[in-house]
Amino acid sequence: MMKVLVLGLGNPILTDDGVGPHVAKELEDKLDENVTIMEASLAGLNVLDLLVGYDRAIIIDSIKTRGGKAGQIYRLDLGEFEVTRHAVSTHGVNLVTALELGKMLGLDLPHKIDILAIEVAETDRFGEECTPEVARAIPVCAGMIIDELKAGGAACTGDAAFD
Amino acid sequence: MASCKATDAVYHADPPPAAKKLRELFYCAHMNHSHIAHFYALAAPDFVLGPMSDPAQRNILGVVAKVGLQIGGEVIKHRAYAQSIQATIGGKATHPVCGLPGGMSKSITEEERKDFEEKAKSLVEFAKFSIKLFNDVVLSNKEYLALITGEIYTMKSYYMGLVDNNNRVNFYDGNLRLVDPDGKEVAKFRPAEYLDYIAEHTEPWSYMKFPFLKKVGWKGFTEGKDSGVYRVSSLARLNAAEGMATPLAQAEYERLYQTLGGKPVHATLAFHWARLVELLYAAERLLELCRDKEITSPEVRTIPTATPDEGVGVVEAPRGVLIHHYKTDEKGIVQKVNLIVATAHNYPAMNMSIKKAAQSLIKKGQEVSEGLLNMVEMAFRAYDPCMACATHTLPGQMPLEVVIHDSQGNVIDRFTQHLPS
Repeated sequence: MMKVLVLGLGNPILTDDGVGPHVAKELEDKLDENVTIMEASLAGLNVLDLLVGYDRAIIIDSIKTRGGKAGQIYRLDLGEFEVTRHAVSTHGVNLVTALELGKMLGLDLPHKIDILAIEVAETDRFGEECTPEVARAIPVCAGMIIDELKAGGAACTGDAAFD
Repeated sequence: MASCKATDAVYHADPPPAAKKLRELFYCAHMNHSHIAHFYALAAPDFVLGPMSDPAQRNILGVVAKVGLQIGGEVIKHRAYAQSIQATIGGKATHPVCGLPGGMSKSITEEERKDFEEKAKSLVEFAKFSIKLFNDVVLSNKEYLALITGEIYTMKSYYMGLVDNNNRVNFYDGNLRLVDPDGKEVAKFRPAEYLDYIAEHTEPWSYMKFPFLKKVGWKGFTEGKDSGVYRVSSLARLNAAEGMATPLAQAEYERLYQTLGGKPVHATLAFHWARLVELLYAAERLLELCRDKEITSPEVRTIPTATPDEGVGVVEAPRGVLIHHYKTDEKGIVQKVNLIVATAHNYPAMNMSIKKAAQSLIKKGQEVSEGLLNMVEMAFRAYDPCMACATHTLPGQMPLEVVIHDSQGNVIDRFTQHLPS
């Protein structure tokens, strides 16, 4: 049976930054047993460790884009990320580089990784709940993931205005 | 871990010996994972590939392509070993949930201890291998050795680090020891006394503070004994101590100082070598603790009984001294917090190192190539800075601007990356 990871990334005590973990919580008990739901406040090489052993992964994270409307949900693929491979700090090795390294080393990584990013409004204030527009996107995003896993396709509610 | 120790102090609850050992074991695993990542992902590209090599190759992927997939696999495996030890003790490897005032939330089982011991043995071997790689690739290359010991990357400063009762490097506990640029001890103090020794300067052009030694004073961005600028992190810890507490790391410590001309070493690029000496110490100490009979003791908590008020906790983060200071009300609700993180301690020195490297490398009439700029970056990559931690902001990327002026002060060129619009 295909092993699937649904990974909510973010800091759950930093208001909207916690939207990824909130979506993961929303999905608890709603997915088949071959799907592992996980929450993490990690990046780069540490995320690579979590992905090993799964056939497919869906990552949910917060995003801030220029002119973006809070609560919009974007579907991104790894190719859309600007890559700075030679980081300054060990806190800075990004996911794309980490995944390339993992592939190079023959790690058992998902053959398909989808990223759902939710446009956020507030990430500089402590708080365990999201702002209203972002909170409304949580069940929507969770529903998209359920549909996606059922049908193998998906839709999104907005277009990202990337620079 | 610093916050954990600060809450011990706030609640006046001294953890039992097994809890302290378990925390140190956890912390040694953390040092292993962090130092492995730094060496292979950040330091090695500049040396294995070369500082002026093609930037598309000058990264961890290029390193693995050059040194071999098998070694790359060992890097990932040993990072994961260290992380799994942390996750078993802490619930999670990063952002663990095991620390409580007065101890730990749970002990470890004999089965877990045995698993840790096997992993620690492998980590010691991997640390030895990493030092051999550094030896083969960097130290046996005369150009690199000249770069390390040369004036471009040299800065004379004070050094501060946590030491045990025998003045050996300790990551988890001890007193803070300060040595001057000649290597002479000028202070040794309990972490709770840090405000008597450290003050912070501000500049209008930066939202990060500039810590300095209070008793020497802030004399601007200047080197030497009269300047209060000091450094922390790997090389600083070695300079501030009188040795390492484990045999293999001690031998490597001695070789470092023999090779680089005695103590203290002021060569900023030697932070990389010092990090590997520490990797070996962290692995050896991890193994020692795994074999400690007390490590599986269920006595891992002293239940606090005193009224909470105020406390300071200090550890050596991989990047250097980390200070947490909390004041609470009688219910333990935090009222005031002061944090001085490793990158902040090194901030004055980082600015000076960058300036010195830029002024030494960028010459009149010479094209400012990407490789040259990378050599400027090397001056501060050696510190393993995390500006997000130090400024308490989350920019996600490292904004950088290099402005080149002529002798009249006119701007003649400008290079930027990730600047906020």
